[in-house]
Amino acid sequence: MTATRTTSLFFKSYICLVFVFVVAPILASFIFSFNSDRFPTIPLGNFTLHWYKTIYHDKDVWDALWISVTSAISVSIIATFIGFCTAYTDYRYNFFGKSAYLALALLPPTIPLVIMGLAMLAWLSHIGMSGRWYSIIIAHVVLCTPFAMAIIRIRLAQLNSSAEAAAWNLGASEWRTMGEIIIPFSLPAIISSLCLTAAVSFDEFAVSWFVSGLNKTIPVIILEVLQGQVDPQINAIGTFVFLTSMTLVVIAQILLMTRHGKGLSHE
Amino acid sequence: MNDSLVVFKNVVKLFGEFVAVKEFSLEIKKGEFLAIMGPSGCGKTTTLRMLAGLDQPTSGEICLNGKLMNDVKPSERDTPMVWQTLALFPFLNVIKNVEFGLKMRGFSADERRIKAMTWLKRLEIEEFASRDISQLSGGQRQRVALARALVTEPKILLLDEPLSALDAHLVIRMQSVLTRLQRELDITFVYVTHSQSEAFAMADRVVIMAKGEIEQIGTPREIYRAPANRFIAEFIGRNNIISGSILDKKENLITLQSKAGPFSVSSPEKLSLEVGEKLNLVVSADVITVSEKKPEADNVIECSLIGEEFIGSIVTLFLEAKGGIEFKAQIQQREIQNLDIRSGSQLFLSWPTASGHILPK
Amino acid sequence: MASKTSKGLTWYAATWRLPNLVWQFLFFVVPLAFLFYLSFWLVRNYRMVPGFDSVNWVKMLSKDYFWDAYYFTFCMALVATVITSCIAFPCSYGLAFKTSNATRRWAIFFLIIPFFTSYLVRIYSWQVILAENGVINAALGYLGLNPFIMLNTVVGTLVGYLTLALPLVVILQTLSLSNIDRSLIGAAENLGCGRLRVVFTVIIPLAKIGLIVGAVFCFILSFGDFVSPYYLGGSKPPTLSILIIDTTKSGQQWPRAAVVAVSMILTLLVVAFAAVTAAYRKRT
Repeated sequence: MTATRTTSLFFKSYICLVFVFVVAPILASFIFSFNSDRFPTIPLGNFTLHWYKTIYHDKDVWDALWISVTSAISVSIIATFIGFCTAYTDYRYNFFGKSAYLALALLPPTIPLVIMGLAMLAWLSHIGMSGRWYSIIIAHVVLCTPFAMAIIRIRLAQLNSSAEAAAWNLGASEWRTMGEIIIPFSLPAIISSLCLTAAVSFDEFAVSWFVSGLNKTIPVIILEVLQGQVDPQINAIGTFVFLTSMTLVVIAQILLMTRHGKGLSHE
Repeated sequence: MNDSLVVFKNVVKLFGEFVAVKEFSLEIKKGEFLAIMGPSGCGKTTTLRMLAGLDQPTSGEICLNGKLMNDVKPSERDTPMVWQTLALFPFLNVIKNVEFGLKMRGFSADERRIKAMTWLKRLEIEEFASRDISQLSGGQRQRVALARALVTEPKILLLDEPLSALDAHLVIRMQSVLTRLQRELDITFVYVTHSQSEAFAMADRVVIMAKGEIEQIGTPREIYRAPANRFIAEFIGRNNIISGSILDKKENLITLQSKAGPFSVSSPEKLSLEVGEKLNLVVSADVITVSEKKPEADNVIECSLIGEEFIGSIVTLFLEAKGGIEFKAQIQQREIQNLDIRSGSQLFLSWPTASGHILPK
Repeated sequence: MASKTSKGLTWYAATWRLPNLVWQFLFFVVPLAFLFYLSFWLVRNYRMVPGFDSVNWVKMLSKDYFWDAYYFTFCMALVATVITSCIAFPCSYGLAFKTSNATRRWAIFFLIIPFFTSYLVRIYSWQVILAENGVINAALGYLGLNPFIMLNTVVGTLVGYLTLALPLVVILQTLSLSNIDRSLIGAAENLGCGRLRVVFTVIIPLAKIGLIVGAVFCFILSFGDFVSPYYLGGSKPPTLSILIIDTTKSGQQWPRAAVVAVSMILTLLVVAFAAVTAAYRKRT
């Protein structure tokens, strides 16, 4: 018995170590954001809100925040719409070339962001659309659609395969069925997709950096500060970004959990 | 053809290369309870789906109420269906599910509520009106599905194996609910099932399908007593099929020579048979009498017992006659108590000449 | 599936099919194709001129710094893949077999969090933690040890790659390990197979696809990342991604950057194809 207990203890401590590694930088950033030292080390310096005050009074940060938020909202709406259309098409139809169609929807995350950034920059400036307010939105929609598609597709897989036909059978047209059955059923996934794609867009820096031009987002500001020298402002911005993203992720997660209760399909 | 509600005329349905339904012609009468029965993959569900407009026939015509339906969308047909999976809408509660069809037809909220409540009452589930579907038992869900389909007062109701998910007790209960409803409403029920007991217990007429074709149409009694061919005789089960050739033919009486010995059977009127011709004799397991001493009867055969199966108060005996021919006999549980039965016992089976049935070729 | 129909395209069907087709074609396929085309353009007087000339390819592929960067990037990504997979495996194994379902669900939730926290901020944190006078070396100092240089070395880069890929690899491995039929493991043990031998002869072959998919993602992420090698590895030597950025941002040498980008994509395609073939190969 002691042998199994030892192995069990080994695995538990190992898992904890991995989690410490994953959480350490996030936690450190949070702690350093309230630390007075410019070069934080142990022992820690004094508690301060200095770094938050600095960014609060920085106009560039506010401008970037505005661009980040408006882009994230637009991206989440467009990407979720496209993701929904694609997920529904996959749920409902079989057609020639469907695997190519799905590859189109799901492949973007496998292309390195630097390459996506360069390709976007090259193409958008070729057609005169780079450096505009909408450049980031266009590029982020490409990156976020796969997430939206996956989330909504998983939800649709839980719908009884005859549900649509049952609605037609009861006198609902295809469009009416979409409004009465498919959209209400997918709603938790749609909202959670809105949150998650907004979070992805809000954090993305590489492609934004290439295509943004003067319309810098918060991550692009961080990247540029990082290129200078050590500056604990980043921790303050980072903590703020973290809290924003986490709020979105937690909302999304709660909504996805609803599938375990109400709305389960009955086979 | 005033009394037929549905007419299938030479309907063919292909899925790619696969022939799901071939040359299907059938008339379904007004107010009839019709069961379509067959093994899985025989095309029975496809036939039903074509009637609801969910699958389009590859060729042929389907008419409903004298109107050609081939190009009518499912939503414009008024052919409500009770689904095998029920397909209740999981995010709507009971009454919203039942109201759905009315809402699609533009009834006002008040009318919808009144009509839906009437149906919930009729099916004795009004107390669950505001429950979620996930909070209902299987039988209650079944009733919701029925109410949802019937609330628009259709002329026809399609049922696709609706009872297959229920346990035996509930199946019997729901069978009586369905037959009573059908009689009271006087509308047409088309009931697809693979279960012989469901079809025979409820239907006025039964259609037996195999590999996309109709094998036999008739009342349950006709099919049970006079299966049209060997497939049906075997599909219905509990039938003894004896192959042999005609030894002698006198007026209405045929003597059949089989490996197990000679048997006599009444000659079917429609068939003209010659001496020496090969044919199959069907004897239903429940017309056979089992005894320990050789009885005085038309057809008697000595067998040894192989095994027995108990279902409720009925016992099925599996026996073997000489020549390796197997027999099944069904008797009441209490009858078996009077017999000395163990594996290998020698028993006599007998049946009257009139109970045998010659299978047409 | 009965509800899937494949009759002619209706307006309704087209409405749902088109958005993905249009958007991803215009802004995913076309940009990548354009990038390929761009690699054949010319640059004259700091201006790009459309053309179809192999000069960029010839020049880039004959430069030693390109091949140095290529080998370095490839080897680092390979090392990162092996290290990440090996570090992740005991953790995934523990999560799959040694913890309750509820714990596993929470663990996966926690592992998803890093995807939604700024990678840049996490790298900046590591910069501070790993620095010569940072948290770790201060702690080592208390133990009376000399500072250990980690920043601007290969170690720093690898820490960055781990930060990037470890959570995803653990998730993918855990999912594939927990899908293994437990009775097979029981059967192997019942036949007298030792714990460690079960892992190598039963569990790893059964979870092969998940393990390989995790490794491929780790390779893709590390191969394409520019943040870790730049901010933690000190860009000595530069990786291909850094090369792309330098070539793009300094001067109008986009066609040469395109050459690097296209060769990266080709490399990834070959690696992914080889890995998928390995994953689905039947053992004979």
